[in-house]
Amino acid sequence: MEFPRYHKEIVSDLMGGKFILASDQKFISLKDNAAFYEKFFKESFGYELELKSDYGFILSYETGEQLSRDICLFFAILCYELDKDGKNFLEEIQYAEFEHEKVDDYFENSAYADLINNNNQLKSGESRRDFIRTLARRNIVERNGDQKFFFTPAYKVFIDFAADFAKDRLQNSEPALEEEY
Amino acid sequence: MIKAEPKTILNFLSNYFEVLKDIFDVQKESGQIRKEKLNEIFKDRDENVLQQLLDYKILKKLGDDFEFRDTYFKLFEFILNEFRPLLPETIQKYERSIGVLFKKIRDGINGDKLILGQRILDLHGEIKEFSEAVEKNTIRLLAETRELKSNVDKLDYMEKVRKASFWIDYYITPLNNILDINHAESITNKLFEISNYVNIRRLNFDDELIRLQFEKLYVFLVQSNDDLLRQSKLLTNELLPLIERIRTESVILTGFIEFLKAPHKAKVPKVFKVERQYPYSNDMYLNAREFVQQFLQDETIFLEDPNALSDKWVFNKDLYKEKLMQQLPLDSFFDWAGLTLRGEYQTIETDKLFALTALLFEDGISIEVDLKQERSLIRTSQMNLRVPKIKINRYGIS
Repeated sequence: MEFPRYHKEIVSDLMGGKFILASDQKFISLKDNAAFYEKFFKESFGYELELKSDYGFILSYETGEQLSRDICLFFAILCYELDKDGKNFLEEIQYAEFEHEKVDDYFENSAYADLINNNNQLKSGESRRDFIRTLARRNIVERNGDQKFFFTPAYKVFIDFAADFAKDRLQNSEPALEEEY
Repeated sequence: MIKAEPKTILNFLSNYFEVLKDIFDVQKESGQIRKEKLNEIFKDRDENVLQQLLDYKILKKLGDDFEFRDTYFKLFEFILNEFRPLLPETIQKYERSIGVLFKKIRDGINGDKLILGQRILDLHGEIKEFSEAVEKNTIRLLAETRELKSNVDKLDYMEKVRKASFWIDYYITPLNNILDINHAESITNKLFEISNYVNIRRLNFDDELIRLQFEKLYVFLVQSNDDLLRQSKLLTNELLPLIERIRTESVILTGFIEFLKAPHKAKVPKVFKVERQYPYSNDMYLNAREFVQQFLQDETIFLEDPNALSDKWVFNKDLYKEKLMQQLPLDSFFDWAGLTLRGEYQTIETDKLFALTALLFEDGISIEVDLKQERSLIRTSQMNLRVPKIKINRYGIS
C-alpha cells in the first residue's frame, strides 16, 4: 500500500497536537489527500480532521480544555490591551512581531490583573515565555529567538471563537438585529 | 418681502455667526428649534436677534417653534461641511427624474426646440443635484466612520458594532450600489448612456443653440462621471474597508470582553489533547503498574548462608550411646546430658538436649524414675527446663 508524501510527519505532527500550516510543504500533501486522512484518523483513533484554507489540525472527543481556555484568555487580554493602546489589533495579530517585553507591559498594566494573577500560564513574565513555547510547539506562534514571536494563521481559531461568542451575545441582547456578521 | 439690503443680511450672518451656528446645531440635532431652546441660546450668548432672524427670513415660525429656511440651512451645511446624510432611497429618486427627462429628450429630439432646450437644462440641474447629494453623503459617511474609529462618544464595542452595521447596511452598501458602474441598474450606468447620446448630439444636431446646450451638458457629464467614479472609489477603497474593519474588530472585542467576564463558564474552542497511544489495551498500563507495585514494598529479606547447611548439627546416636554406656550407672540422666553437651559445645542447646533423650529408649539400659523426688533445673541457651531425675543402670548381658 502506498501512503501520501510526508505521511509519517503529517501523522506525528497532528498527533502531537500541532497545527499544520499552509506555509508548510506537508500541508499540500494533507490537503490533496484530505479524504484519506479524514478516514485514516477517524478509523484509527476516532479523531476528526479539521482542514481550513490555511491550516489543519485534528480533534479528539476529549480535548485539552484548560490549554484552550488559557489561549483564549491570552488572546482576549492581548487584543483588548492592543486596542486600548490605539492599535488595529487584528492587523497586529496578523502581521506584527511581538516582543515579550511589550507583552509584559500590557499584561502587567492590564485591568484584568485578577484573571492574570490567577492563571499559572500567564501570571508572570517567565510563565508567559513558557506559555509561548507551548504555543510554538503547537505551531500557533512562531518564535524568533527568545525575545520575539509572531502568530501563525492558527490564531483564527481563537479570533473566530470570539466573533461567534459575540454573535451569540448580540443576537440575545437585541433580537431585532437580524444581520449576520 | 425681505426687509433688508442683501449686504445687510450678509453682514448680519457674519456678525452673529456664533449664535446662528448654535441654532443650526439644534436644528441638525432635533429637526426643529424649540422656543425655549432658542431663548436659552440667546441668553448664553447674551444676544437676542429673533426679530432680525424673522425679518431677514432666515428662520421661519412654526407655531411656537422655529426652523431654518431651507436656503440658509443648506448654506450652513455647506460652509460648515456638516451634511445630514441622505438615505440612499432619497438619492434613488434622481434615477427616476433623470431617466424620465432623458427619455423625453430622446423621444422629442425632433420636436419643439424650446421644450427640448428646457429639458436639457432641467436634466443638467437634476444631475447636478444628484452628484452633489452623493458627494455630501460620502463626506458625511467618512466623517461618521472616522468618528466611530476614534470613538469620541466612548461607545462600548457592542454599540460600535451596531452603529457600524447601521451605516454599512442602510447607507454605504446601497449608496455603493447606486454608484457601482458594473451594476446595470445603477445611476452611474444611466449617466454613461446619457453621456454617449449627448456626445453624438453635440456634434450632429442641426440647431446651433441646442447643439451648444448639448455641448455644455456633455462637458458637465464628463466631469460628473469623473466625480462619481471618485466617490465610488472612495466608498469601496476607503470607507467600506474602514467601517468593515471597525465592525469586525468590535465584534471580536465584544466577544473577548464577554468571555473575560466569566472565562471559566464559556465553551472554548477544541484543542487536541496529546496522549500516548498503545497498540494494546488502554488498561494495560494500569494493570502493569499494579503488578509491579506489589514488588515495590520494602521488606527485609534474609538470605541463608549456604555454608550453614553443612554445619547443621546431626545427632549421632551411636556415639552418644557409647558415651552413655561408659558412664553407667547414672544418678541423673539430664545432669549427664547437660554436662556432656556443655563439655563439647560450651552451651546447652534445647534441641540437642532433646535429641539426647532419644537414648532413654535404647536397649541395654534400665530406667528408674521417682516422680516424688524434686526436679532439677537445666538452663539451655533458649530456656530453663525443669526435668525429673532419671536413674539409669546397665541392663541385660551387654
